[in-house]
Amino acid sequence: MSQRKDNIETEQEHALATEAEEQAHLEDVVPEPAEPAGDDNEPLEVQLQKAQATIKDYWDQVMRMRAEVENNRKRAERDVENAHKYALKNFADSLLPVIDSMEMGQAAANAENATLESIREGSELTMTMFVQVLERSGFEQINPLGEKFDPERHQAISMVEVPDAEPNSVIEVMQKGFLLNDRLIRPAMVVVAK
Amino acid sequence: MGRIIGIDLGTTNSCVAVMEGGKPKVIENAEGDRTTPSIVAFGADDEVLVAQPAKRQAVTNPSNTLYAVKRLIGRRFDEDAVQKDIKLVPYKIIKADNGDAWVEANGQKMAPPEISARVLQKMKKTAEDYLGE
Repeated sequence: MSQRKDNIETEQEHALATEAEEQAHLEDVVPEPAEPAGDDNEPLEVQLQKAQATIKDYWDQVMRMRAEVENNRKRAERDVENAHKYALKNFADSLLPVIDSMEMGQAAANAENATLESIREGSELTMTMFVQVLERSGFEQINPLGEKFDPERHQAISMVEVPDAEPNSVIEVMQKGFLLNDRLIRPAMVVVAK
Repeated sequence: MGRIIGIDLGTTNSCVAVMEGGKPKVIENAEGDRTTPSIVAFGADDEVLVAQPAKRQAVTNPSNTLYAVKRLIGRRFDEDAVQKDIKLVPYKIIKADNGDAWVEANGQKMAPPEISARVLQKMKKTAEDYLGE
């Protein structure tokens, strides 16, 4: 059994007192069904008292277990909330170099001697960096040009007649799709050949 | 003893939830969505698509992509509501032998509850995958 104090009265006090507890196994906590305490030769009053003491004991245990369950639930809720709030941290950290790179690109574009060629180069480098960051974080791009249309990964926005294309194949990709750790987060928007 | 789930079979979208700790919890499907489109599509080779994939190929297969079928459940073919629907939807609504409003896709005649049943199957599977049962 646990090492908690036994003078706890209300459920709230239970909840406050039981902070760092390990999940007790049910067999350890719940005793076996009561054998009638004492033998039948004892006067009824004594038997009654013993039975009432047992009931009180069971009731305490039930309260404690309920408090524990409630604590666990609150802890789980808190963990999930934190996970939501700070889930983006690692991803954001890896994006910071991309932001820096884009700022440099903007500064270069606004400079006096900016050339279209250098801006184009810088933009491509930034894009490559960005795609690398995404791939390292578990993202995968879907670019199904020429493949057979797959409704699990693509969304058809229109169908057109294209004489020499394979029917039901993707002839144009309007927007690339993305997978995150193998779950589809955005289907590729495609135009399909009739 | 199995768990009890609640399914909201909607005309456009459906949702499934389970009671957890005295509170209802909406279950996300395999794609991470909390609602699922109530759409069934019949493709070539007797392929049947349900929910999001069916919606995504709707443009390529309008006459065999059935949506808002719930509007037809329990209605006779000759009702005004059904006649209005016939002009609105790209799939075929036909009169069954007993006069009910049925649908036809890929040459197969089916009753609207049959289509909705496929959506319900998908919601049931979503719940089973979440609950591990």
